[in-house]
Amino acid sequence: MPQLQDLIRQKSGPLTSELLLRPNDFGLGKLPRNLETDGTATSVCGFCSTGCQLNLHLREGEAVGLTPSTHYPVNLGMACPKGWEALSILDSDERATIPLLKEFGNKPAREVSWEHAAMTFSEKFKKIQATHGTDSVAFISTGQIATEEMAFLGAFAKFGMGVKHGDGNTRQCMATSVVAYKQAFGFDAPPYTYADFEESDVVILIGSNLAIAHPILYQRLARNKRNPEIIVIDPRVTETAQIATQHLQLKSKGDLPLLYALAHCIIRDERVDEEFVKNHTEGFEEFARFVRDYSPDSTREDTQIGRLQVEALAKLISDPSKRVSMWWTMGVNQSHEGVRTAQAIINLCLMTGNIGKPGTGPNSITGQCNAMGSRLFSNTTNLLGGHDFANPDHRSKVARILEIPTENIPTESSWAYDQIIDGIESGKIKGLWVIATNPAHSWINQGKFHEVRKKLEFLVVQDMYHTTETAKTADLLLPAAAWGEKSGTFINSERRIGTFKQARRAPGQALSDFRIIQLLAHAWGCGEMFEKWSSPSATFELMQELSEGQPCDITGVKGYQHLDDDGGIQWPFTSSMIRPGHDPKASKHDRDGSCYSRERRLFEDHQFFTPTGRAQFIFDPPAPLPEPTCNSYPFTLLTGRGTSAQWHTQSRTNKSAVLRKLYPDSLFLDIHPDDALALGIQDHEVVTVSSRRGSLEAQAHLTTSVRPAEVFLPMHEGTTNLLTFQSVDPHSRQPSYKACAVKVESCGPHR
Amino acid sequence: MENLIDKLLAEQKKLQTPVARFSKAHDNHELRTDLYKHLIPFEKPGKGEQYAFQVELDKCTGCKACVVACHTLNGLDEDEAWRDVGLLEGGNGFQQTVTTACHHCLDPECMNGCPVGAYEKEEDTGIVRHLDDQCIGCEYCVLKCPYDVPKYSHDRGIVRKCDMCHQRLADGEAPACVQACPTEAISIIKIDTAALRAENNFLPGAPNPTITNPTTRYIGRNVPTDATPADQSQLNPQSAHWPLALMLTLTQIGLGISAASLFGSTAHAIVGFLIFNAGMIAATLHLGKPLKAWRFFLGLKTSWLSREILAFSLLAPIPAILAALPFLPDFPFKELITIATKLALIPLSLGAIFTSVMIYQDTKRLTWNFPRTLPAFFLTFVSAAALFIHPALFLLIALAALAHEAHTLLPAREKTWSPHQHSALLRLRPLRKITTVRFITGGLAIILAFINPWLALPVLLTSELLSRHLFFRAVYAPKMPGGLHAN
Repeated sequence: MPQLQDLIRQKSGPLTSELLLRPNDFGLGKLPRNLETDGTATSVCGFCSTGCQLNLHLREGEAVGLTPSTHYPVNLGMACPKGWEALSILDSDERATIPLLKEFGNKPAREVSWEHAAMTFSEKFKKIQATHGTDSVAFISTGQIATEEMAFLGAFAKFGMGVKHGDGNTRQCMATSVVAYKQAFGFDAPPYTYADFEESDVVILIGSNLAIAHPILYQRLARNKRNPEIIVIDPRVTETAQIATQHLQLKSKGDLPLLYALAHCIIRDERVDEEFVKNHTEGFEEFARFVRDYSPDSTREDTQIGRLQVEALAKLISDPSKRVSMWWTMGVNQSHEGVRTAQAIINLCLMTGNIGKPGTGPNSITGQCNAMGSRLFSNTTNLLGGHDFANPDHRSKVARILEIPTENIPTESSWAYDQIIDGIESGKIKGLWVIATNPAHSWINQGKFHEVRKKLEFLVVQDMYHTTETAKTADLLLPAAAWGEKSGTFINSERRIGTFKQARRAPGQALSDFRIIQLLAHAWGCGEMFEKWSSPSATFELMQELSEGQPCDITGVKGYQHLDDDGGIQWPFTSSMIRPGHDPKASKHDRDGSCYSRERRLFEDHQFFTPTGRAQFIFDPPAPLPEPTCNSYPFTLLTGRGTSAQWHTQSRTNKSAVLRKLYPDSLFLDIHPDDALALGIQDHEVVTVSSRRGSLEAQAHLTTSVRPAEVFLPMHEGTTNLLTFQSVDPHSRQPSYKACAVKVESCGPHR
Repeated sequence: MENLIDKLLAEQKKLQTPVARFSKAHDNHELRTDLYKHLIPFEKPGKGEQYAFQVELDKCTGCKACVVACHTLNGLDEDEAWRDVGLLEGGNGFQQTVTTACHHCLDPECMNGCPVGAYEKEEDTGIVRHLDDQCIGCEYCVLKCPYDVPKYSHDRGIVRKCDMCHQRLADGEAPACVQACPTEAISIIKIDTAALRAENNFLPGAPNPTITNPTTRYIGRNVPTDATPADQSQLNPQSAHWPLALMLTLTQIGLGISAASLFGSTAHAIVGFLIFNAGMIAATLHLGKPLKAWRFFLGLKTSWLSREILAFSLLAPIPAILAALPFLPDFPFKELITIATKLALIPLSLGAIFTSVMIYQDTKRLTWNFPRTLPAFFLTFVSAAALFIHPALFLLIALAALAHEAHTLLPAREKTWSPHQHSALLRLRPLRKITTVRFITGGLAIILAFINPWLALPVLLTSELLSRHLFFRAVYAPKMPGGLHAN
């Protein structure tokens, strides 16, 4: 009676079959209908700097879904929520599909042709340059586009348009590490490879909520089989602090004194790696004299960490039998004294010889997917390929390779982001071109940006969405194709270059940033100058030539296919590194039988990139807080990542319904219960948070994860930066997002 | 320039993906399926065993990759995922993220409540499967599950839920969430069902495990007993279930007026019949797939919803006959039938309303327990009858109903959180306006009853409907710990 049985219990049918999974031939396991594939292609993810590789499921060449790649040396089959949703966020009504031009003041923007848009770009900016000088047009680039695109952008803007001032949103996340490394090692060179997470005995995370900000790097740490001590130094009990073996919940901005106190104990107890310091460093003696004043007792007030804890940690770091690695992220970088803090970390690694060996290193974890590409090739602070604008040899090398007149290359580097904003305020900059970033949301003390924007005669925004806070204020919006709709390379935190592919059709008339620049160069009348830049892969070859002889030399890479075949390739990579014959230690064997290691760290030979070949001890006394708390503004406001499902200003992550489920649907202020009690604030009550610059409303979340007198807001909400105070590190000019003075007031119970 | 633009646009539309690398993954031994085999049992469960999720809390970082992988690898709707991640908070800064999906309970209440047998617990694996094509979309399982697992899809008119990727497990592949956890915090284990039943230390801060015996094992970190979900004190009103609110109000009031007709006029019988049937029609609007509801008898053994359908089906002709009899020509035994119908009305009505009470009582939701639900439903029935018998009687009963409802507001003043307090705060804060109108209309109906009961009837209907509306919206629905979300 099977039919009667079916009639009574309907175990199959159209609804059941919606969830049917079927096997496939691509090693992907069983898949639902919408992921079924007739081919796969790989692409490195376009969110953060971890650089996970995703396996795109193709149907007739078009990506219909994705799963994380299983055998890429970065992510080993995993992705965070953002990576899993990398394709879904491309389908949105908010995509920019056609150029939009605002011509008459506040009138709504109208759709124009690409020809009209390109000609307007060229005419408006040329007119501004003719009236106010060539330096009156500037650009703000990004860490979110392909290396080839940012190189082309920087080259066109500076060598073609004659723009002097251009910077990137990488100023907001990485500038501090760049300067710290450059001064200490002679080149901006993060020394590590992700395998170091797995090979450490002691892992110290400073200002890094690794588990949430870089979940796949935390995965590498979780794979560590050496039973590592994981020590988190952070003013908040972050998700990472919860799973650490030890948490030092120091006072906000107590990091630099704490690091000096650690150095003090190590030197006092004569636990320094004398041989390494003597042979490979400079400036140790001065440093040793300097930290004499930084005993754990004398720094206690600034750090709020007890002497015993500091002494114990100093012993651990200086234990010669332990491999110690120290990792930092935005907690250090986004500080008024971030460079010296990063260098205090570097100093600890140098004095204990924890560098150039497995499981060691002072290691900065980058933010954006191509922050590293931007550091080497954006042509903003550095001349293309990590060169120096001020160095005539560098200028002539670049001019020769690019076949452009040397005079077209500026002789000094650009203003930094904050200086460009100040330049607009003072009337020196009148035209601005913003590419793939959202300063109207993310710029520190956002209110100032909105004021300053009114002083611009022409603002061009190039973005994949027409709805970002910045795109909405644009005079001209250029619709950009996004990750997934274009090709190129990213360079991740461990210096690994990986590719991504054009596997989706961009909506409407959106063009890749590369193609937009090709068009704008043509409209500007300098198309011929950039004839060699015919495609991303041709540009990659130019980049290789530019890198020759530099610490970031990548002349050994044989094109995109080589990058794909070898699971991405870390810089440096010269042809001499492909050693002939069989090397049992090498994890990757090239097609011709030669081999090299897939996971390489720098400085194994202890040769640094400074003129003397020695690493530098650099230090300064801690500087006072730019905006200390006071009676009127008694709380220190910390900002940072909310959840792993959120990315920066959320222009992408809020386009995914499933990601939206994974983060709070309104703004929450973390506040200590003791403070809340004193202010009469209940859990979930709406409160006003104000600084001298602005105010916002948020729901109070009573939690002991913040210290008393400190409150926390996630950075993703559009209003958070109304409160932040614009101060920058004097060396890196990176803004200090993580400490300003605010007050918190109840808005009355449960409105 | 036009040529260049055309060329660029054409290039932009051309996909630059390599031709299909058919089975290249096989050649390279890059099989996704092989990588996670150590996270699932080698063999199927034996006798007295079943599959269960195991979550190692100390490994969970709260990255939520499991949620998105579940969504993606199961081909679910845009905002659908069968796994979620919440947060437990304790004193001294204790925090623990909790990943949760269906617990594939030993005693699945979703299955027991389903009127049409759209759930089955697989004998060999213990996986609780939902039969999507059998489902009628009544959402009773949504009310029955203490963990808020089954989710209703408006587009489909059915619920769907986690099936532990049984299709994958059957072929030795790990479920989506297991495959996707960067720290291998989630795995599939075999559990001894008798041992679990004897001692179920589920998870502090989660709903009482004795109702359904959930099988998920949370291990690896001691969660303090005072740990509370981060979203516990968030006052989010529950779904309104308008068809159910209408059904309960209209059937109870309709039956009450029909009962009054025993002492009153034909008009009462007709109005009672009309209102009662409006309620019956409203009930069907609650079903996503009403045409499949004929299978309701499959659940009679365990489901109060099946029993309610049966009780109301048996009762349904009575008000109709009562209304029709005065208009029918004489026929044999008419008088006898009239008496029998009249005698049957009240017991059958009480029985049917009792099944309605049981539906909610059986969810084990504390704010829907007997003391809350039973008086509320029966007082509605009795007050409608009293309205047409004597205004003074109505005054007494309506006041009793209002007092009973006012009583539910008292726990708002308590110092510590409880489901009753939560419900009271819902009524007093986000639902304040509705609560106010409920009491005002309740009082107004009493006044109007002394003028003309027919004038009071629409006001009474409104008031009672709002009462049922609050019944649904202000319930405390137990669930697994959630994250921070807005009020």
